[in-house]
Amino acid sequence: MTAAVMTDRPAAYTPPANYKLSAAGLLRSEWTKLWSLRSTWIVLLCAVVFSAGLGALIASSVPSDQASGGAGAALDFSMAGISLASVFVAVLGILTVTGEYTTGSIRSTMSAAPRRVSVLWAKAAVYGAVVAVLFGVMVFLTFFMTQAIFSGTDLGGVSLAGDGVLRALLGYTAMIVYLALLALGIGSILRNSAGSIGFYIGVIMILPQLATLLPWNWVADVTPYAPGNVSNTLLMVDPGGANLSVGESWLWMGIWLVVTYGLAGVLLKRRDV
Amino acid sequence: MIEIEHLTKRYGKKTAVDDLSFAVKPGVVTGFLGPNGAGKSTTMRAIVGLDAPTSGLARVNGKHYSEFRSPLTEVGALLEAKSVHAGRSAYKHLLALARTHGIPKRRVTEVIDLVGLHEVAGKRVGGFSLGMGQRLGIAVALLGDPAVLILDEPVNGLDPDGVKWIRLLLKGLAAEGRTVFLSSHLMSELAQTAEHLVVIGQGRLLADTTVDDFVSGNGRSRVRVVSPDAARLAEHLAGPGISVASPERGVLEVTGTEAAVVGQAAAAHSLVLHELRTDRGSLEDAFMQLTADAVEYRQTSEGANR
Ligand SMILES: Nc1ncnc2c1ncn2[C@@H]1O[C@H](COP(=O)(O)OP(=O)(O)OP(=O)(O)O)[C@@H](O)[C@H]1O
Ligand SMILES: [Mg+2]
Repeated sequence: MTAAVMTDRPAAYTPPANYKLSAAGLLRSEWTKLWSLRSTWIVLLCAVVFSAGLGALIASSVPSDQASGGAGAALDFSMAGISLASVFVAVLGILTVTGEYTTGSIRSTMSAAPRRVSVLWAKAAVYGAVVAVLFGVMVFLTFFMTQAIFSGTDLGGVSLAGDGVLRALLGYTAMIVYLALLALGIGSILRNSAGSIGFYIGVIMILPQLATLLPWNWVADVTPYAPGNVSNTLLMVDPGGANLSVGESWLWMGIWLVVTYGLAGVLLKRRDV
Repeated sequence: MIEIEHLTKRYGKKTAVDDLSFAVKPGVVTGFLGPNGAGKSTTMRAIVGLDAPTSGLARVNGKHYSEFRSPLTEVGALLEAKSVHAGRSAYKHLLALARTHGIPKRRVTEVIDLVGLHEVAGKRVGGFSLGMGQRLGIAVALLGDPAVLILDEPVNGLDPDGVKWIRLLLKGLAAEGRTVFLSSHLMSELAQTAEHLVVIGQGRLLADTTVDDFVSGNGRSRVRVVSPDAARLAEHLAGPGISVASPERGVLEVTGTEAAVVGQAAAAHSLVLHELRTDRGSLEDAFMQLTADAVEYRQTSEGANR
């Protein structure tokens, strides 16, 4: 518009200059959004109760003359709840994204951050960090609690200093963070709550297990690389006999996250909100 | 300043917006009018970058929306559907948005008070009435104290008090030099708020004009007469370019002439008049006339009555 047209109009309005969209702002925003929903508290509480409760329950029901003792077996029993809790964590990860699409709040979010992809990073970073801290604590809490229950049996007396014990416990934390991030990425790709949860449970969790029943050899060769399986090695106290080495396990977790978030990012840029 | 240039948006085969070009200037309230499905919401979503145009572009103050470093202070938008998570409180929703830009909590409570949601700010939005949801949407739009306001049917669901309030608010904001762009289906509503008018139908521009010009250009006037001698008066009025209708016994509606002429005719033939009045054609009529060919979703009962 030319200046001449402007003359009979009020002076141009200048918006406040001290407000700026920033990465830190997006992180704080996602943090606020995460904790301002009741579902977050409920699901995380369930996950916590499940991981500790199931661990304790299984630990106390293991017969004291358990034949195969040792750190590996002890962790398998005590961490059963943690593995199941990962389902809660994954579902919540999905909902943090799909909940925005189903309610329409994504339009508010994306009009505040029109570059879009930074929102996905912020969501993943905040949720990943929350899960890492929460389950970092839960894994060790469950470990010490179940060790107290196991004391005096073949499964007791496992020390953190023991070979591979600490690595396996951190592995459980890494696994649950990985699955949380994977699920969040799937939610961003599919946008739909039921569809994403179905996909996660069906394709990520169940399909690789079912596939082992198939008669073809190549299936058995491939399944260890399935997104839901690649973190398995990390959970072992003695990963000697595992399909993937510890290093390969990390590598494949990275590959699947890059694939998922690459696709999610491209689609987020391309599609209408 | 909003500039729409040859904007086209297709959803599959459906063309929602079709080569639309217009500009919305700062300092006045501009109304965006069109029947259901005309493409108003689509155009507004394209301005804030939610929907990517199939071709053409939408710019705000010379930039594409995604280029802004502080989008919320540049453009405040109220989009049609509720854009809030039902499980979150109004306060937290606003706070989450404010935090992206480092907008202080003080500003959040300020806009909550401004739109009158103070008492329910801590309640879950899922329980909000239509009007409360609308007020929250207006609070979101105002949060960054933006230079440009884009409001999709802001009056929808507001009570008469609320309607009056938002009218004054928008005029005030425009008077500060901001760009205010709001959509509506109701011409009469816009005529009281807006100075400028953009009318679309089936995604195409039908009019881009001032409200005054639109009203005087499109509003047909007619003379309404109530008379016990209506039938005889009608005979004397008949002439080229004049049409006389009688919606009920003793009432005439005359178009194509003026009240003075009708009065003269009555006096000349000593006919009694009980009422003689000029009706400005309603804005709604003018609007409907303009968009007659462009109405997409017409109720089928209209045809069935014939
Ligand atoms: N996401 C979408 N996918 C498919 N079609 C769409 C989409 N959004 C809008 N449309 C279609 O585009 C056309 C324009 O819709 P739009 O919502 O922009 O109209 P509108 O002028 O806002 O109507 P209303 O007055 O009813 O709000 C409609 O025919 C609509 O069905
Ligand atoms: Mg609309």
